[in-house]
Amino acid sequence: MLITFPHMGDMSIVLKTLFNGLGRQVSVPPPISKRTLELGMKYSPETVCLPFKVNVGNFIEALEQGADTIVTCGGVGPCRLGYYAEIQRSILQDLGFRFDMIVVEPAITNILKNLHRVAPKQSLPNIYSAFRLATAKMNTLDSLQQKVYRLQPREINPGEADSVRLQGVREIDTAETLTALAAVRQETESKLDSVKLRSGIQPLRIGIVGEIYVMLEPFMNQDLASHLGNMGVEVHQTMFLSDYVNGHLFRKQEYLKLFQHLAALAQPYLRHTIGGHSLKSIGHTVNMGRKNFDGVIHIFPFTCMPEIVAKNILPKVSSDANIPVLSLTFDEQSGEAGLMTRLEAFVDLLKYRRSSQTAADPD
Amino acid sequence: MTVRIGIPRGLLYYQYGALWERFLQGLGAEVVVTGDTSKATLDCGSVLDDVCLPVKVYFGHIYELAARNVDYLFTPRIISVAARQYCCPKIIGMPDILHSNMEQLPPLLDINVNLHQNGCSLYQAVIAAGRRLGKNPLFSLYAWHNAWQNHRREQPFFCPCRTDRQRIGLIGHSYIIHDHQISMNVIDKLSNLGFEVITPDMVSLCQAAAAAKTLNKKIFWSNSHHMAGAALTLIQSTPPVDGLIFMTSFACGPDALIGELIKRRAHALNIPCMLLTVDEHTAEAGFVTRLEAFTDMLSRRRQPC
Ligand code: SF4
Repeated sequence: MLITFPHMGDMSIVLKTLFNGLGRQVSVPPPISKRTLELGMKYSPETVCLPFKVNVGNFIEALEQGADTIVTCGGVGPCRLGYYAEIQRSILQDLGFRFDMIVVEPAITNILKNLHRVAPKQSLPNIYSAFRLATAKMNTLDSLQQKVYRLQPREINPGEADSVRLQGVREIDTAETLTALAAVRQETESKLDSVKLRSGIQPLRIGIVGEIYVMLEPFMNQDLASHLGNMGVEVHQTMFLSDYVNGHLFRKQEYLKLFQHLAALAQPYLRHTIGGHSLKSIGHTVNMGRKNFDGVIHIFPFTCMPEIVAKNILPKVSSDANIPVLSLTFDEQSGEAGLMTRLEAFVDLLKYRRSSQTAADPD
Repeated sequence: MTVRIGIPRGLLYYQYGALWERFLQGLGAEVVVTGDTSKATLDCGSVLDDVCLPVKVYFGHIYELAARNVDYLFTPRIISVAARQYCCPKIIGMPDILHSNMEQLPPLLDINVNLHQNGCSLYQAVIAAGRRLGKNPLFSLYAWHNAWQNHRREQPFFCPCRTDRQRIGLIGHSYIIHDHQISMNVIDKLSNLGFEVITPDMVSLCQAAAAAKTLNKKIFWSNSHHMAGAALTLIQSTPPVDGLIFMTSFACGPDALIGELIKRRAHALNIPCMLLTVDEHTAEAGFVTRLEAFTDMLSRRRQPC
């Protein structure tokens, strides 16, 4: 059994650690590239959302390099993600690939059943430690990324913080024990702490809300966060992989509380969940308005149903909460040039707003 | 004075409209339904971004009603009409889209209908709607019961009997294929070309559900579930239909997957299948050409060579 899975940001590091820990070999799909996208576009239904197409590209490239088992996720609606796997399986079979597809449904019984398929002879302590190492890596990756977002707008040498992080990511990937991981984390953090910063600046603060896949996969969002960082913006990404796993899979109290809070904030605008992350997109926007953020960027794949509803509600939220919102859709045609122009215009608007507010407000 | 309630002729109106009308009339209301979709309806709907054509059309109908001096707009939030199934997220979020995009709407009767986990929720919705109009629960339930009796009698059944005309399965949301503006009168066009047209609403829920059992995973959007089931019924019956047309709106989320699914099944059974996507810019000429090309091909297949 040679396992593969779709890419989503740094998730491959986490899943590789997990499956290796369960005694399985893993074939990580090649990093997402133009070819991945082309393969995906060629064999997917034309109007399906971009994550579907990129997944198909990932699977083809992984099967080509010998993978024979695909692990991917299911779902019970109403977001389309839940029905992806059914169609993807048949597309890949028609292309002549022989493989097994394990679809993990978001129910604990299903997860246990699939765990048994992947790791039939593992002892419980073994499974437990595989999960511990994988989740520890996930939390480390996310917290380093968050730190870099804080540093980026302030660093004297642009790109320094992120290259320290990337070095750390490579070491996290190969760390085999919790102790080794802790050492990497400490070292990377102290290197980040010594990145030289300009003093006395108050960068614009922009929150990123929207659909998880586009938010977590830089290939999809065309490196949105780094572009913003380079423009001197402090990015607040509202969702990381760890938030998703801790909230949706482990159902940790703090996340459930946060979700209730966001739902309450969104209530006047969207009074029922409609799947995906739309409720959070709206709740976070209200929240960031109250917390005096400078702006919000709402991102999602073209034709994503829940976020399209959110997009048509956000203008009202934006004017009520007095915070500018920029909605960006991503598809295979979104060019980087177009993105940069829109980002620059938005950032200029926010700067202008801030300066006129400070002018109007003498203290 | 009787209350005037407006119902937009869009989205689920095509499935449940008659039922709603009878129910509201049973509650003593005067019901105003908008007319057929026109170009003007489309224009009003175009203020919404990135949404599918049926949602724009619905919005346009609401616009029309808002100007027509009604006391309420009947816009129930239909979350689910069957156990473990949902409506499309855009349909679920519709009342919120209305609130956020229109000033000065008449009050919305946006009661929640959610049968996802609990079938009794329908009765709660019925009671809630009645209460808004000042009726007591028993009265409301009675009005619903009457309306429902009528609705039930109208259940269709598809019988695969042979006819002399060739048959085409036209698969699509009822608010697409039965809206003359959106569908460009596709049903009439096909009939005029000499074909018998079978639509999903001619296949009963049970027939469709039975056919959909052959799917690996149950489809969790009710409409799509029925459409896929109807398509499978039509291509698996003896004799099967001669061809399938899957008609969808640009940017329809569920259809992107369901269209692919149906296309694959039809090809496996060697039944020609065409995907027809419409949006507000679809030109009549090109549309007709595609229909003709497809039907020509079906006619040639029928003739023994
Ligand atoms: S099912 Fe498709 S056509 Fe219907 S509302 Fe949803 S996206 Fe629009």
